[in-house]
Amino acid sequence: MDKATVSAGSKAPSSAPSRFTSFFQRPFPLYFSAALLRLVFLLYGLWQDANSAVKYTDIDYLVFTDAARFVSRGQSPYERETYRYTPVLAWLLLPTARTTGHALWDVALFSLGKVLFAVADLVAGWLLERVLVRAQSMDAATARKSAAIWLLNPMVATISTRGSSEGLLGVLVMALLWAVMARRITLASVLLGFGVHFKIYPFIYAPAIVWWMDRERMGAGETRPSTAKSPWLNNLIAFFNPFRIQLAAISLATFFGLNSVMFILYGPPFLTHTYLHHVSRIDHRHNFSPYNTQLYLASAFPSTSKLRVESVAFLPQLALSCVLVPLVLAKKDLPASMLAQTFAFVTFNKVCTSQYFLWYMVLLPLYLPRSSFLQDKRWGMTALVLWVATQGTWLQQGYELEFLGRSTFLPGLWLASLGFFLVNCWILGVIIDDVQGQSV
Amino acid sequence: MRERITFVQNLGDSLEPSAIKINGGTISGPEVQAVREDRLTIPLDELPAELQALLRATRELHTRWVSPRPYEGISPLLARLPPGLHVIFIPGKDDVVSSPLCKTLAEIFGDVSCSTATEAFTSLPEAALQYYQQLDDLSHFIKYAKPQLCPRDDVSCLARLESLSHASSLDISYDSSLHALRITAVWPYQRQPVQASSRKGIRTEVGILSTDKPQTLEPHEIGISGLLTVLGQDSKPSPTMFTFASRHRDAESSFSAQFLSPTGLHPTLQLRLSSPKPPPSFSSSPSSCSPHAYLTLPKTIFPDKYQLSDPLFLASKNLSALRYTTQPIDLEAPAYVLPQWGATVLVELAPPPAAAESPLGSQGHQADTEWTAEIPLHLRYLAPSAGGSSAITVPYPAVFWACTPDDGGGPEITASSNPFDRGNLGYDRLFPEGTVFWHVEPRPSVEHGSKGLLVNEVRVPVLDLEKAGWVNAGTAAVVLLGFAWIVYKLAGVWRREGYGSGKVGAEKKRQ
Repeated sequence: MDKATVSAGSKAPSSAPSRFTSFFQRPFPLYFSAALLRLVFLLYGLWQDANSAVKYTDIDYLVFTDAARFVSRGQSPYERETYRYTPVLAWLLLPTARTTGHALWDVALFSLGKVLFAVADLVAGWLLERVLVRAQSMDAATARKSAAIWLLNPMVATISTRGSSEGLLGVLVMALLWAVMARRITLASVLLGFGVHFKIYPFIYAPAIVWWMDRERMGAGETRPSTAKSPWLNNLIAFFNPFRIQLAAISLATFFGLNSVMFILYGPPFLTHTYLHHVSRIDHRHNFSPYNTQLYLASAFPSTSKLRVESVAFLPQLALSCVLVPLVLAKKDLPASMLAQTFAFVTFNKVCTSQYFLWYMVLLPLYLPRSSFLQDKRWGMTALVLWVATQGTWLQQGYELEFLGRSTFLPGLWLASLGFFLVNCWILGVIIDDVQGQSV
Repeated sequence: MRERITFVQNLGDSLEPSAIKINGGTISGPEVQAVREDRLTIPLDELPAELQALLRATRELHTRWVSPRPYEGISPLLARLPPGLHVIFIPGKDDVVSSPLCKTLAEIFGDVSCSTATEAFTSLPEAALQYYQQLDDLSHFIKYAKPQLCPRDDVSCLARLESLSHASSLDISYDSSLHALRITAVWPYQRQPVQASSRKGIRTEVGILSTDKPQTLEPHEIGISGLLTVLGQDSKPSPTMFTFASRHRDAESSFSAQFLSPTGLHPTLQLRLSSPKPPPSFSSSPSSCSPHAYLTLPKTIFPDKYQLSDPLFLASKNLSALRYTTQPIDLEAPAYVLPQWGATVLVELAPPPAAAESPLGSQGHQADTEWTAEIPLHLRYLAPSAGGSSAITVPYPAVFWACTPDDGGGPEITASSNPFDRGNLGYDRLFPEGTVFWHVEPRPSVEHGSKGLLVNEVRVPVLDLEKAGWVNAGTAAVVLLGFAWIVYKLAGVWRREGYGSGKVGAEKKRQ
């Protein structure tokens, strides 16, 4: 591996190891602080929920736990309105549906889902460390410094302790990346299939992983000279190497196997709520997506024109996140490619809320330490300020709409979402620019 | 066909029999301050053919219209509903009615915007279906009913129908067990002459009554006394006096409703109640009475039952519990894609604790203190319009103290003994049999914009169509710009290092 790409952050201060550096020398301080942070948030949340009409707990958590309660009674999780997830999530939260009759125990049991999400955060952080050590040849201390961007991030800790399941996605994606890097194809395939079953969007990682898994990378040596005459055909045959075929077969089997089981158990509601809902939803309520205003307009007047933006909106999104980005970046830097793909997927999505940001945030520590944003602090501050400012503008306009009842759809929210979109595109451009080839 | 005309005056306002003149089929008397109720019972086979066909395939159909104008009720005509058109429908065995029902309702009442009962109606307990729509007046009904109910050129009949424009409510009720359609109109408490005539072939009974409190009156009963006359049959009115248990009583307090400002997309309906005093109890357990609000919300505004399930949150709004809501309610869809009419909500209110615990009988001692309860609601997105805002109107709820019968053998209160009973209101299905509803009188809110009606207006922000010209092109252009920028950046990396792992390519180039 190339030592030149080692993080700039690893250049420790010249003086004796500061308290800052020694914090990362051993794993314990970091993971203990990360766990403590979440514990404090969790307990604070319990206090707020018990004492205030404004709840700390995310509404989604009530959806999950209600669904788990249905499952515990032998019913379908889809009995709960707006449960739009795989039954696996409700199964995982089954302990939250138990009651002992003792109030304190019941609160503890009910909070187990949040504990699970918080533990998932920690495991994702630990996997981050492993990936950094393996893929970028970092020493463990430096890797932990990067992983701290995730582990000690108060936003991440808040989201998981409020009971949002996005943290589970974080651990799945990181485990997938780690398994791929470690050439554990079967494990990677199962994780990929499960991830797509869980939340659909991880399918964008499939082309990147497939593209990355060439023979050289997998340590199977150079392609054997083929008898075929055309170099095109040669390449095509070489493309279908056993690793790629194994990955495709096992991940597809996992995905369809899980779906078949769920369909047998819960029937059409499983398909309707977990997958078809995302096709048929009209996404008219205000959100960060650049398409939002347009979609609201189109949903109210369904037949104004023939070629409509919303029906072709998936094209740039999928072209970038599934084809162009992985094609150019995956072989050079798989983690960075996955980050750029996720960033493109979220930025170009027809619906975008702040919980989606978590999807790329888990991949950020793999890129940030050697990014031009951290190498040139002013550059990084500019990006951060622009990202926060355009988002803030949108939030301010959204507040006026939602709470003051002002019609800020046009031009306020629309321009703010387009501004935020362009800032995201610019940041994505920088991320892409930063990717440099690494030797295998 | 049978007709019953009743004037009900307040306690003490009785009329001497000598003040009433009966001349053949006509009765007349002085002006009285009273509520007038006209009830027409039409056997099924005397109805227009298409209506007959519809009703023969129906088990029950109760259509109740309530005026948005505030009105004073008099015992026993006290049952209240939110203003608008309420329909409770129980289809017959072979349901052939559900699809033409909406069309028939539209023919009768005019602007009824439901498609079919299957799509637009919502379910209530006991297989009943419910529909509600705001309807400000009966002008279309009057136009529809004139040729159906009045013989040609019968001026007095036409005038009576015309007077429905001042009515406070109109009930049209069909129950297959009675084989008859019952039309009941009530005019508000006001000064009016005692005047009625019989028509050919119709038995008309006129009652000039007032509420009474005979010595033998049980606490769960109400008393009525006055004069009864069957037109064309009696030469003089016969005095009468009777008592009966009533499900609908007067709580002797009032409320107003208004939205807290600013409404935003999550308006809160605030109820201001004039008194926290519970109604007198018939038995030893006063705690079985609690105040409720029954809302019929058009599809533009809805409750979130999950939000209304947290005890702390409810307590902060002076609510005890969400007792009922239409299910399922789509929490996300815009109003313009929903086929259902809207949703019914029954919430139990939490009066200030001191009042609820106050002992019986000390009511005079306790001052009437106004208190409020807040019902958080949510707006749906409405279709874009020029100007960026659309107004919706939300009817007042019906507010009442519901006293549920206790197991300990209190007085049994059934509808059957009450000649003025009004059932099938919607909320009565949500309480156990024998519940007594003590109605709180709605008063228009003093805030601007209420126009003195029992409805509240909410301005809903919508996308301003006047500014929408650039949305399609602008969105497409910006997305393409962003896309092009990223492709350009990718192309840069490609040119620099190819699509492979990069370093290999670069080394090859160097060689």
